[in-house]
Amino acid sequence: MSLYARIVMSVDDEDLVFKALADVTRRQLLDRLFERDGLTLGELEAAVPQLTRFGVMNHLRVLEEAGLVVTRKQGRFKHHYLNAVPIRLIYERWIDKYRDRRAAALLDLRDQLEGRK
Amino acid sequence: MTTASQAATAPQVYQLYIRASQQEVWDAITTPAIVAKFFHGAQVESTYEVGAKLRSLSPDGSDIWGDNTILESDPPRRLVHTWRSLYEPAMAAEPESRVTWEIEAQPGGFAKLTLIHDRLEASPKTAASVRGWSYILSNLKTVLETGEALPPRA
Repeated sequence: MSLYARIVMSVDDEDLVFKALADVTRRQLLDRLFERDGLTLGELEAAVPQLTRFGVMNHLRVLEEAGLVVTRKQGRFKHHYLNAVPIRLIYERWIDKYRDRRAAALLDLRDQLEGRK
Repeated sequence: MTTASQAATAPQVYQLYIRASQQEVWDAITTPAIVAKFFHGAQVESTYEVGAKLRSLSPDGSDIWGDNTILESDPPRRLVHTWRSLYEPAMAAEPESRVTWEIEAQPGGFAKLTLIHDRLEASPKTAASVRGWSYILSNLKTVLETGEALPPRA
């Protein structure tokens, strides 16, 4: 059995990540954390002024449940950190695999064109 | 106002669940033969006791990758060590930063691993480079869950 055929991440975890990413506001929040990590709720609210505080909290909860955001409490404030590991796991599971297949197809094509097959 | 350098040097937090016990995760990160599997083939050497050195070399032993110090050691829960990237002169010239590994037992035979890389304020080049922790940690997960390492990064 190939390595990539094994379950590296559970299907449920993947669902949570894909669902969390399927929303423009949540992607905006992740982009903001990519620019500057460790922001508080108040600082993140400024990145999406169209939303209420309650709306931002809801989106952050979805991101946290998917593991894309990790929170750490420091003093009075909760800081939000972008956690890139779930995206890395999706990449290995879904992108690397297909890239390898396409690369293999190109190598086959080359072999055919060069008359090796 | 936020400056670009502040942005780049905030603490970095990585978290993942691994289908392994807390002890297995601790053993993996403190056993040189396993570290080599998930950390670019590095040869590491340490007793993992507070104050001990944590040295790492390139796979063939010709380059020094790290010469760090264990700051805290609480098996199988918590390991803290200094970090300086000696494999690249521009990063080696930057001040020391800090890496904290936190391992929590979870119900259902899982462990939650959180890695925090901080004290990066004066080390922007190192901060940009260590974004690669995602690759290392997903590799650690694969090693623990399947016994195999991922192929080297293209």
